[in-house]
Amino acid sequence: MKKVVAFLVAAVLVLGTLAGCQKPTPAPSTDAPAASTEGAKKIDPCTIKFWTGDRHDMEYIKTHIDKFNAENQYGIKVEVEFLTDDVETMYKLAYQTGDAPDVIGGSNKTVETYGGDYLLNLEPLAAADETYKKEMEIESRKYAYKNWDPKRNEVYCYFGAIRTGTRAEYNIELVKAAGYDKLPTKLSDYIDMAKKITEAGKGEYYGIGFTSSSPFERFCEQVAMNSGITWCYDYKNGKFDFSGYKPIIEECKRFISEAIAYPDEQGVDNMRALFAEGEFALWQNASQEIGVFTEQIPITKFEWGVGALPTLTGEVKGSLDCLVQKGYCITKTSKNIDAAWEFIKYMQSLDVLVGYCEAGYSAPLTNAVRDKYDASKAGRMGEFQAAAYDEVYPSYPSVNLTGDNYRKTLWEAVLGNTDVDAAIADCNKRYNEALEADIKSGDVLRVVIPDFDPMHPGAGTIEFRDK
Amino acid sequence: MKKKKSKLGHEGASALIMLIPCVFFLCVCSIYPICWVLRWAPYNYNGTKATFTGLQNFQRLFTDKTFWEAVLHTFEYAFYKIIVIIPLALIVTVLLQQKLRGSNFFRGVYFMPTIISSAISGMIFTFIFATKNGILNAILQKGNLITEPIKWLTSGDVVMIAVVVLSVWAGFGNYMLYFTSGMSSIDTGLYEAAKIDGANGVQIFFRVTLPMLSPTLKIVLQLALLSAFRDYEAIMILTQGGPGNRSMTMFLYNYYLIFGQSNSAQPQIGYGALCSLMAAIIIGLVTMVYLRVSKKLDDVI
Repeated sequence: MKKVVAFLVAAVLVLGTLAGCQKPTPAPSTDAPAASTEGAKKIDPCTIKFWTGDRHDMEYIKTHIDKFNAENQYGIKVEVEFLTDDVETMYKLAYQTGDAPDVIGGSNKTVETYGGDYLLNLEPLAAADETYKKEMEIESRKYAYKNWDPKRNEVYCYFGAIRTGTRAEYNIELVKAAGYDKLPTKLSDYIDMAKKITEAGKGEYYGIGFTSSSPFERFCEQVAMNSGITWCYDYKNGKFDFSGYKPIIEECKRFISEAIAYPDEQGVDNMRALFAEGEFALWQNASQEIGVFTEQIPITKFEWGVGALPTLTGEVKGSLDCLVQKGYCITKTSKNIDAAWEFIKYMQSLDVLVGYCEAGYSAPLTNAVRDKYDASKAGRMGEFQAAAYDEVYPSYPSVNLTGDNYRKTLWEAVLGNTDVDAAIADCNKRYNEALEADIKSGDVLRVVIPDFDPMHPGAGTIEFRDK
Repeated sequence: MKKKKSKLGHEGASALIMLIPCVFFLCVCSIYPICWVLRWAPYNYNGTKATFTGLQNFQRLFTDKTFWEAVLHTFEYAFYKIIVIIPLALIVTVLLQQKLRGSNFFRGVYFMPTIISSAISGMIFTFIFATKNGILNAILQKGNLITEPIKWLTSGDVVMIAVVVLSVWAGFGNYMLYFTSGMSSIDTGLYEAAKIDGANGVQIFFRVTLPMLSPTLKIVLQLALLSAFRDYEAIMILTQGGPGNRSMTMFLYNYYLIFGQSNSAQPQIGYGALCSLMAAIIIGLVTMVYLRVSKKLDDVI
């Protein structure tokens, strides 16, 4: 009897284990249902799901979704979910389980992250709608590898707003006390000013602070862009080139070798808090700092200003790369494509986008929004407004790189831990080896813009070469 | 030729069936993932894109200065950690065994860091070791022990000290517990006999306590060694392996290779798998050497 019971228990355990193994779900179907692109549509009342990783504008987005739900003529109901972490993994898991949403938020990494395996090509839908086509400038707002896959020639979203390039946020009182009415435009002068502030501080406060989270990107890279130096990818010749960084790195080394910078590099929020306490005078980040220094970590102890970062010579010879925002994609598994498209058109309508920018969340991207937008309503966002040197750069090929990226490698040279020439040579070698290998394997195409102009990086004639 | 009868029998069959779930999970959760990771060794694989590179990763392993420096840093870190944490845990255990007033309270206090997450303790110590507003520098300057703040986390000369201090603080409560358990199994009659023979406290410690703790000490040392070689969480939070990879250890480097480092490097799963294999071989060799050397501890009894 005992043996029978033992056998039965063992059998139940084994069966229970096998029952836990699921059959792999089939990959998303590539035969997405076709959307209507002409004439008056018939859209049945339905519920569509929208997922987004943007949480900073939750209130505004929710308000307009509620408005769409109440006022749209088709009876479409949108259920929104604001995801917290690891958005990409959650999307892809949802596909595997057949529970993907109809609409997801687009970003400058849409093609790289999801691409045509997961997303519908929106170009036919956009081209068929004259109002959308005109207001969203669909012909000129195709950014290779951001929303447009040049290999498939598909566009997965169109962007509605922009985050402008990095600016310098500074403690007006400390800068004035050092004898400056405005920020110097030349890099060496900027560093001299930071040094004067540090010397005046006598250990109580410093001239500038850097965070441990991508410090190179926040300062040196921006200086290179604005100086017209090739800051990563040489678009004219279709290869990576970091040689132009040498004079910038040699200057920036002074921040460390002359003990000008705040002696610790901590996380972004820590450094923001230290800046708000007046521990250092100069900080560098983009327009999200408005929300940070007015709501999240409000600055109450001093007046703070916003200014341009310096360039190598003092002259602006290149544009700062801006982050495109507020894109909406339709997933390939959606069964309500027409309804999803109506929702996207509403969220990217002029009134919604103008209101979004005037609420201070982003800066206008398209001319239609820019013409209607009243900067005076945007509060301090007005100080981060798109300048003549804020543009969206074409994406360079995303390569399968070995070792650290150029930002980490070159920052180690700024810190004095590695030789500048060796660091630059190492980056050039690894990046170009990875580029050639990926082009050879067919993973990427070489991007070449023979008439590339760093002041107008998006204006040149872009070519995609397979060699 | 006579056929050999199966000696399995009914009991053997039941045992085999009951083992199946365990073997299944071992294969699925342990062996298969290891094989899956190692199969990417001849590729540059970042989780989405795989480019075949042949023997390039193998060549890279033997010329990777950062990895071999991380191995040296690991040995350095393990050495400093063990020579501090084991004697400290032992001395504290002996003192607390004296059953002085407050022993139980202090036992709880010393054990508490063990239950705090490594990530949290790393964050706390980031503030303690901060150069300008750090508590440690403030105390040292107030006590006139230093004139200039020490760059605990940004100077290659002292960063290893900071990392070892954190790991000792976080771990010695655990070893104190092992030693407490070991000491409770020592016959109290031995101490009485030693006292009758006129032995003082120090003599009792070296002639009675330490020899009787030898089996426990052997196991604790082995655990401490393996733990020291595998430590990475607190270092990741405290220094991210910096400055200039000075505090980069083997496992932290492997972690960054497999999972990528935010804003610095994408996952390099193929190469990371090879480095993990090499790390496992190194730890295996160290364990073998330790087991040979530790046999000498048995001769003490």
